[in-house]
Amino acid sequence: MTCKKPLIFALALALALPATNALAASHKDKKPKAPPAAQQPMDERERAEHLLNRLTFGARPGDVDRVLSLGVDQWIAQQMRPEKIDDHALDARLDPYRTLRMSAAEMVRNFPPDQVLKAVADGKLPMPKDAQLKAVYTSGIARLNQKKEAKNARLAENADLLGTNPDDLTAEKREQRQAAREHARSRALDLLEQPAAQRVQTLAAMDPDERRGFWRAVTGDDRERLTSDMTPEQKELLLSLENPVGVVNNELMQGKLLRATYSERQLLEVMTDFWFNHFNIYLGKGADRYLVTSYERDVIRANALGKFRDLLMATAKSPAMLWYLDNWQSVGPDSKAAGRNKNGKPNQGLNENYAREVMELHTLGVNGGYTQSDVTELARVLTGWTLEEPRDGGGFIFREARHEPGDKVVLGRVFHENGQREGEAALEMLAAHPATAHFICTKLAQRFVSDAPPEALVERMAYTFQTSDGDIRQVLTTMLRSPEFWQRRYFRAKVKTPLEFMVSALRATNADVTKVQPISDALNRLGMPLYGAQPPTGYSMKAESWVNSGALLNRLNFALALGNGRLGGIKLDAAKLAEAKTVDAKPPAMAAKPDPDLDVQTRLEFALVPGGVSPQTHQTIAQQRNDPAISGRKLDDPPRPINAGAVAGLILGSPEFQRR
Amino acid sequence: MAITRRIFLKNGAMTVVGMAAIPSFLAQAAMAATGSATNKRLVVIFQRGAADGLNIVVPHGEPNYYTMRPTIAIQKKDVLDLDGFFGLHHGMAALRPAWDAKHLAIIHAAGSPDETRSHFDAQDYMESGTPGVKSTEDGWLNRALSATSAESSVPPAFRGVALGTSLPRMLSGSFPAVALGSLNDFGVAPRTPQSQPLTNTFESMYAQSVDAVLHGTARETFDAVKMLKSADPAKYKPAAGVNYPKGRFGDAMRQTAQLMKANLGVQVAFTDIGGWDHHVNEGASEGQLNNLLKEFSGSLAAFWQDLGPLADDTVVVTMSEFGRTARENGTRGTDHGHANVMFVLGGPVRGGKVYGRWPGLAPEQLYQQRDLALTTDFRTVMSEMVARQLGNPHPEHLFPGFRNPGSLKLLG
Repeated sequence: MTCKKPLIFALALALALPATNALAASHKDKKPKAPPAAQQPMDERERAEHLLNRLTFGARPGDVDRVLSLGVDQWIAQQMRPEKIDDHALDARLDPYRTLRMSAAEMVRNFPPDQVLKAVADGKLPMPKDAQLKAVYTSGIARLNQKKEAKNARLAENADLLGTNPDDLTAEKREQRQAAREHARSRALDLLEQPAAQRVQTLAAMDPDERRGFWRAVTGDDRERLTSDMTPEQKELLLSLENPVGVVNNELMQGKLLRATYSERQLLEVMTDFWFNHFNIYLGKGADRYLVTSYERDVIRANALGKFRDLLMATAKSPAMLWYLDNWQSVGPDSKAAGRNKNGKPNQGLNENYAREVMELHTLGVNGGYTQSDVTELARVLTGWTLEEPRDGGGFIFREARHEPGDKVVLGRVFHENGQREGEAALEMLAAHPATAHFICTKLAQRFVSDAPPEALVERMAYTFQTSDGDIRQVLTTMLRSPEFWQRRYFRAKVKTPLEFMVSALRATNADVTKVQPISDALNRLGMPLYGAQPPTGYSMKAESWVNSGALLNRLNFALALGNGRLGGIKLDAAKLAEAKTVDAKPPAMAAKPDPDLDVQTRLEFALVPGGVSPQTHQTIAQQRNDPAISGRKLDDPPRPINAGAVAGLILGSPEFQRR
Repeated sequence: MAITRRIFLKNGAMTVVGMAAIPSFLAQAAMAATGSATNKRLVVIFQRGAADGLNIVVPHGEPNYYTMRPTIAIQKKDVLDLDGFFGLHHGMAALRPAWDAKHLAIIHAAGSPDETRSHFDAQDYMESGTPGVKSTEDGWLNRALSATSAESSVPPAFRGVALGTSLPRMLSGSFPAVALGSLNDFGVAPRTPQSQPLTNTFESMYAQSVDAVLHGTARETFDAVKMLKSADPAKYKPAAGVNYPKGRFGDAMRQTAQLMKANLGVQVAFTDIGGWDHHVNEGASEGQLNNLLKEFSGSLAAFWQDLGPLADDTVVVTMSEFGRTARENGTRGTDHGHANVMFVLGGPVRGGKVYGRWPGLAPEQLYQQRDLALTTDFRTVMSEMVARQLGNPHPEHLFPGFRNPGSLKLLG
């Protein structure tokens, strides 16, 4: 591979990375092909691609040049200080999703869960005064009531009919269902005549039962047409009428995917993703539906590049974690709060869940040398760490009355009775434990270097971890300065997880995403639903978990749908992508004989995969792209330009694009 | 077009020989059906999250059970009595007929002997088949398939399938098993006119790739796609009167039955069902556990009924990573424990009996003074399943380091 400005790049690299400059220089000297390709050090474009592959959610067209013009070291330094990176384009995209800026309590108020609705219905809480909010509550209460007495209302019956599998219905019922659907469709057509704002008002003013039936009848494209021209705020209102918590969760996912795709603070987002997965929370567990937004924002992202101890402490006190791993319910058996039944036994007691997982998964690792007794003792230490009104979005509180009195012994160290401070001291001990340093650094190296990272690298990172008081930036810096990170064998060696695959495809294609649902749906199919890892282990980062037949087909289908613009709410301009001239896009074939189609194909390849695809992939696409089924051309059609979207789909489905 | 193995067989071996145009995997499948073990099937179900065996098959004849579980014990009057000592949680009622017909056997106090109470580790050990050894790379069910495939000419396509989006550890390894999320979507641009040319393009792209991992996966994928297309399992609807419960597990069992009825050569099928980790408000005869049991037993019962004559040669076996504490915890739930209960359902099963030695629930009988002790190693059960259902003559090779105290003779 040749470079336009070899001298300048080599110089920049030499200044930026003194430790590895010898490698780059020797590579340049030995050109063209002295050692076999597999052993050659990466050239500077490859190094930039490698860096982008590992520290971002994937390179966008032109990113390699941006890294090179800034210098690798400078680019890394920038990413390590995300607060100094301007991110206004992302902020503008996130602006409509107001729950991303709300506290849990505000979310509960504005997007009431059933318990709150019930409390208002029973007169225990006042009905809100704000008209729009009142509509949300009224609709929600109607929905609750309807659940109770669903049977009688004709509309409800129709609504239910529409939700049933047609095979299970009698002919008569099927006719009724058809009639209901047609009625709703004609209603939908009327509504389409109205401008979006008025349409929202009409729908909001509809009787809640009727609206429910209406939405069940209006499906697919019709539903899309009814809402496609609405602002995010208008859509939010409509959804909050039917499913308030759905708004909170949708916006959370919207935020996650938009940040991964568009944030300039890529390392911060990658690390946020890493730590969220490390300190995993399952969104579907009760109150966590309202708690994860703040968890990710205030606990994980806020500490993603800070000190591990602070991150651990913040997760331990986060309502989301206290809820997810049940510690909020754990009560010291000998505490005042436990009480006694008539046999003298405590009414409430320990729950070991968090105490176990914090050692096994968050700090020491499963072979970290703790015992069942350590688990029980740590659970005793952590009694009283609970929540104030979790279902209303309340926060962490230490309740002395629930705290187990007496001394405890964890990992051989005695913790004298000292209230909340006991737990803090125990967590500090875990954060500083050598097993923790090793375990965390192994996981980081698996994420950033290889499924089976070299032990020497892990040791070096663990040493930094221990000598820097668990400073995550410094650990990453050690990793990036290690020769192992830059070894050729790790170039494009990691199989992308489904999330990495999809987001990297959006980035590579400069896609304009206004609706993330097609992505979250595809992630469900690939077994990696957003915030949907039920066990506290989170998702695997290893290839073996994500490479299998079903998964491969799902990837190919996603690639084709994206390339061909068949994902609603996601636009991309493949033809424009093919216009971009990149430094690399000049294989010999283009020079030999003018072939505009091949030209487009080649440019697309280099736009989507910085160093280009393999010759085999290139050849296959070149042979197949004129198949009428792929090109969309018919035999008697006049010649027209290549179907860039279809070709982009094939490239995104190629073996090369599955790795980073 | 639906060319099934059955048609090949009916027309005899001559037809196969004479059909050079038929893809080789179909021809092989046709020939393979003559092998005896390939007609038998093993279905493994993993209850992830550690199911509470003591509340599923209830030792209602054991007074300690009631003292240790003051709020969540299943009262005598609420159990479906099995033998005067054990009774089924009524959420398991759907499987009662199979018990009565002596096709359902239960092994109590069974599981993995490793003492870990980590979900992750315990599942890992039960899937690798090597409790206590972390370095085992493949899963025991995969090894079982690899061992039998040496003698088999059947192509791998659907011999080992996992219904779900990712391949479980148990089926990972050198034998190419397939993970299927949904039968309908198993293809490139399925149900579109572009499907074939796009399939060809990707097949060719990956066939030439030097990326060994992706190359191998892709070859298996495209073989399987072709085979599934020919067999068209969509036409195998559930048998009359069979209703699978709604949800992921019911769907998985329904599709497992479809694959088997489509005669795709399935020897091993795997699926899992989560949500058993009831630390809080587990419920007694009503509540969280009951709801999950209804889905669990309803799906298994539907599958059993749906299989029709194929049930004669099919065995379903269930497992969970460990049991739960004998005592309820401070939050009306149970924490991570030790031994558990396993179910074996199938034609050759000598059912209507609870197998295994009952260790008792008196304080001194508990494992580490807190959990049901283990008296049957899950590998004893699985060795018999593999020997009998997969025709593997050396199941001991599957579980290195395991000394099998002897078969329970669950299968007749």
